[in-house]
Amino acid sequence: MTILPILKKLGSLALTLFAASILVFCSMYFVPGNPVSFLLRGRSPSAEAVAAVTAQYGLDKPVPEQYVDWLANVLHGDFGRSFQYREDVSTLIASRAPATIGLVALAGLIIGILGLAAGITAALNQGRAADQAILLASTGLAAIPSFVGAIVLIAFFAVQLGWFPSFGSGNGFLDALYHLVLPALALAATFVALVARVTRTSMLEQLGREHVEVAVSRGIGRGHVIRRHVLRNALGPILTVSGVLVAGLLVASSIVEQSFGLSGIGSLLVQSVDRLDFPVVQAIVLLIVVIFVTMNTVVDLLAPVIDPRSMAGAAAR
Amino acid sequence: MSLLEISGLTLDLPSEPSCRLLDGISLNVGAGETVGIVGESGSGKSLTARTVLGLLPGGARTSGSVLLDGTDMLRCPPSVALDRRRDTVSMIFQDPRSGMNPVRRIGDFLTESLRLCEGWSKADADERALELLRSVGLPRPESHLSQYPHELSGGMLQRVMIAGALTAAPALLVCDEPTAALDVTTQAEIINVLRKQQETRGMGMLFITHDLNLAAALCDRVYVIHSGRIVEYGSALSIFTSPRADYTKRLVAATPTIPSVSGRRSSAAASHGRAPSAGSAEPALEARGVSKCYAIRGGADIRAVDDVSFRVPPGGALALVGESGSGKSTLARMLVGLERPDSGDILVDGVSRSTRPRSRAERLKRARAVQIVFQDPYLSLDPRIPAGAAIEDALRLHSTLRGVEARARVLTLLDRVGLTEKHSQSKPRTLSGGQRQRVAIARALAAAPGVLVLDESTSALDVSVQAQVLDLIDEIRRERGLTLVFVSHDLAVVRRVCETTAVMKQGAVVESGATAGLLEHPGHPYTQLLIDSIPKPRRSLHAISQ
Amino acid sequence: MTTFPLTRAVPRHFRPRSGNPLFTAAIILAMVMVIAAAAATLIAPYDPDFVDLGNVLSAPSPAHWLGTDAVGRDTLSRMMFGARTALLGPLLVVLLSTALGIGFGLLAGWFGGWIDAVLCRVFDLLFAFPALLLAILAVAIFGKGLTAPVAAMTIAYIPYVARLVRSLVVSERGRPYVTAYRVQGFAGCWIAVKRVLPNVMPTVGAQSTLNFGYVLADLASLSFLGLGVQPPAADWGAMINDSRGALMSGQSLPALVPAIAVVLVVIAMNIIGENLSDRIGGRRQP
Repeated sequence: MTILPILKKLGSLALTLFAASILVFCSMYFVPGNPVSFLLRGRSPSAEAVAAVTAQYGLDKPVPEQYVDWLANVLHGDFGRSFQYREDVSTLIASRAPATIGLVALAGLIIGILGLAAGITAALNQGRAADQAILLASTGLAAIPSFVGAIVLIAFFAVQLGWFPSFGSGNGFLDALYHLVLPALALAATFVALVARVTRTSMLEQLGREHVEVAVSRGIGRGHVIRRHVLRNALGPILTVSGVLVAGLLVASSIVEQSFGLSGIGSLLVQSVDRLDFPVVQAIVLLIVVIFVTMNTVVDLLAPVIDPRSMAGAAAR
Repeated sequence: MSLLEISGLTLDLPSEPSCRLLDGISLNVGAGETVGIVGESGSGKSLTARTVLGLLPGGARTSGSVLLDGTDMLRCPPSVALDRRRDTVSMIFQDPRSGMNPVRRIGDFLTESLRLCEGWSKADADERALELLRSVGLPRPESHLSQYPHELSGGMLQRVMIAGALTAAPALLVCDEPTAALDVTTQAEIINVLRKQQETRGMGMLFITHDLNLAAALCDRVYVIHSGRIVEYGSALSIFTSPRADYTKRLVAATPTIPSVSGRRSSAAASHGRAPSAGSAEPALEARGVSKCYAIRGGADIRAVDDVSFRVPPGGALALVGESGSGKSTLARMLVGLERPDSGDILVDGVSRSTRPRSRAERLKRARAVQIVFQDPYLSLDPRIPAGAAIEDALRLHSTLRGVEARARVLTLLDRVGLTEKHSQSKPRTLSGGQRQRVAIARALAAAPGVLVLDESTSALDVSVQAQVLDLIDEIRRERGLTLVFVSHDLAVVRRVCETTAVMKQGAVVESGATAGLLEHPGHPYTQLLIDSIPKPRRSLHAISQ
Repeated sequence: MTTFPLTRAVPRHFRPRSGNPLFTAAIILAMVMVIAAAAATLIAPYDPDFVDLGNVLSAPSPAHWLGTDAVGRDTLSRMMFGARTALLGPLLVVLLSTALGIGFGLLAGWFGGWIDAVLCRVFDLLFAFPALLLAILAVAIFGKGLTAPVAAMTIAYIPYVARLVRSLVVSERGRPYVTAYRVQGFAGCWIAVKRVLPNVMPTVGAQSTLNFGYVLADLASLSFLGLGVQPPAADWGAMINDSRGALMSGQSLPALVPAIAVVLVVIAMNIIGENLSDRIGGRRQP
């Protein structure tokens, strides 16, 4: 009884990924004309280049067969070769991944700590100065796209004050971390505001619930009530938003990496679009989609842990 | 000294500076005594109950005192108030389902105060929880401990709430409408549990309710509260039989009763002297073996309505009475064509309406035959459309009236339900519950239906408003010769309007017949149970002392 | 009415009415932006593309209120012309995605059944592509410029609007007032379009206002990355990108001016959108 909904969700995950992969694969056919000339835009269509591209995508075969071969390769971790770097796309991505993972992880940490703390503080002080200040700050922060955040941080903390580097990724763990401070802040700004707002709203909703009043009426202390009944019950929306957040972070990291000269996956994506390196674009888009959809499914699967009712939905009267 | 002594309690909210929410409330509850507070919505009765536990709305300004066992709950430091809530006073709330944290187990709910505040071990706390669950009469205490609230029925949950309130062995139990969300038979069970616990533990009990009958059945003394003031107090029986304050008189008159108790007041149905002889004419409305099943995912089908047949003569009034899950609302929806029966047939004026209408004309013809007034006056009107426009919409659909004529007709209809031209411009949110229900009735009448279905149409209203709306329905029915079907959970209410009654249980009609006869000589044990479950004022002081 | 004492909620009347002055300011700002964009040819002091290499990176002065950029172009004039693409792109995206989203959402929510199932599957698929990612993919396929990203963002935002509309319509559909219309004999399509849709529109409108700000930021991001509007056309995102060299040498004004403009517009849209939805919330209370 508990396994069926899980299988259903995994099935829908597989279906979505399947459809997404078709979309990503077929995207090169959206442009009218020959896919070979599309793929080789901006490059000399020499006979061997044409032959290489035709072989890579199997363009001499029928389209469904091309897709099946491509998908089989992708499932084996083979995304083809980059036109620009003359390297396997998977190797290229693997070499760029650490920078992005570090950036997203640090930003995630900042978002988790600051966002939750601000949201909880605001909710517990509803209507008072702290709440107003946090609301105002989050309205401002939410409106700062990451490229603006990057520009402002560079202007003040890197150029004017010279506290942090504005370019590159540094050597060694501590130096790398030091180089990531400004990018992570630029990346986190909007999302801190988002998490703070969701946390505040969700906590306030729970604070108004009758079961919280019942708990107070039973003489349970304020700390226990807030932890066990308010925060615990407020987790659902926070978890949901964190699933969406992953996508936002991954996409926005391309802007931040580009601004701070970090060589991660995001900046690779932007450069590949710029240089018409379609195999790399295709691979990164698919990768981000897979991570995003998987994260959302994980969040979905966690929902019954947060709220037992969501599991019983089908079985209840 | 009394266990609880409230004197001169006033309460203001800065958000509502114009009106004082509580105005000089004084009352007391002795040890082992059961005291009722009776009032309609907005009277301040729940607010009073909460002050006893020191639970005030944010920003509230109070004066007076609430002495609980010598501690002033309004002025004492928070830690003292916390201690009083742990060891002296407990509270039971109206809706057990929203009163329990849905993500925590029953066991956790029962033991958390013991474990977190008193430092009990889990085993000891569980033992105590089991003992309490047994004492409130739950069938399987051991398995309930590991269940979640959504797995239990409302009645069971309210027992759990009572057990939870008793964990600390309080000297005073405050009950805020603990049975308002429950069926009448479940209410009777819960009241029995409360009465038994109160007697065996010798607790004082402060019982808040809107139901004068219930207060009179349970309480030693009753305070009647209206707009934040106590208008009358005294022994339960004296309030009920010889009210002195005008408000109490009106309340007593409006409170629906069944004849075996207050007896003398004649039922509306009987006073018409028009008990229609069944089968003499073509029935206005007839159900022939109507059944409806719902498929439940991963379970057996549920027979919501099971082979129901009845005939209502033109101008007759049939009550369909049952508790939640009896299928009465599904039946009502089928009568107006919102759902179609799986088998059987529904005929209005001899015309079957169990198939989908084939044309616009047929759809409109059916709509003109049967109209309905829903339960919730807050949700059944379109929030964007003013009252007059809502009625005009229906008129334009069903008549050829346009422009000035249509508006004149709207005003006539509004006037008929006791509203004025001023109300026709009002959006629903500016109208009171009773006014909205009047608009809903006027809108139903706009189609000039032959049959009017009332689906719990008065149960969301305050007692005094309910009485007015019932009177209105009765007048209109007589005037227009309407055929009525009144779906309700409340035997005492339908008795005022309907001369025949069908009692439903689990989708089937268990008994039907003339309302008066059914009430006096119920033929089916379930009917008997329903009648017995209706709270009745205890007859004498002798009964109270026992 | 009884609020809970864990937080000392300040009753509504006592809350500082901060919403209204902010709301007014946001509306004024939005109007200024629109006027500046519409009348740029009339009121801009300089040709936005006029290069003056003798007057590079000048500080604000009576001649150049907001200074000049690295090749001596007047920042204020470029801001005014840039407002055109900055506002037009999001306007197109929001109008198209709202119109289509309402259509699909109403279809799915009102009829339910297989229509709903199919549409929800399609929404799920589109949800897998974050808007900015879809825009980047579109640029990779169709080339740089404003057209491909606007089309991609429109497609990416349709499921957001459609899901919102769908959930609102589903909850309205279950309300007794809709049932009452049915019993009165009104046709389903009439109820859906004439009665349910107007009731959900304010919420959708508020959300679309919020979306406007986000789309603007996303499109500016694309230009900033060099994938959107191409230089030398004046565009806020591209202006920031152009000024990064000056930024590194300590001349932050040419980059900060468009950056602040983007933030201000997004804030203004957030304030307007939230105020609208607050008002709806207040009106919806029984």
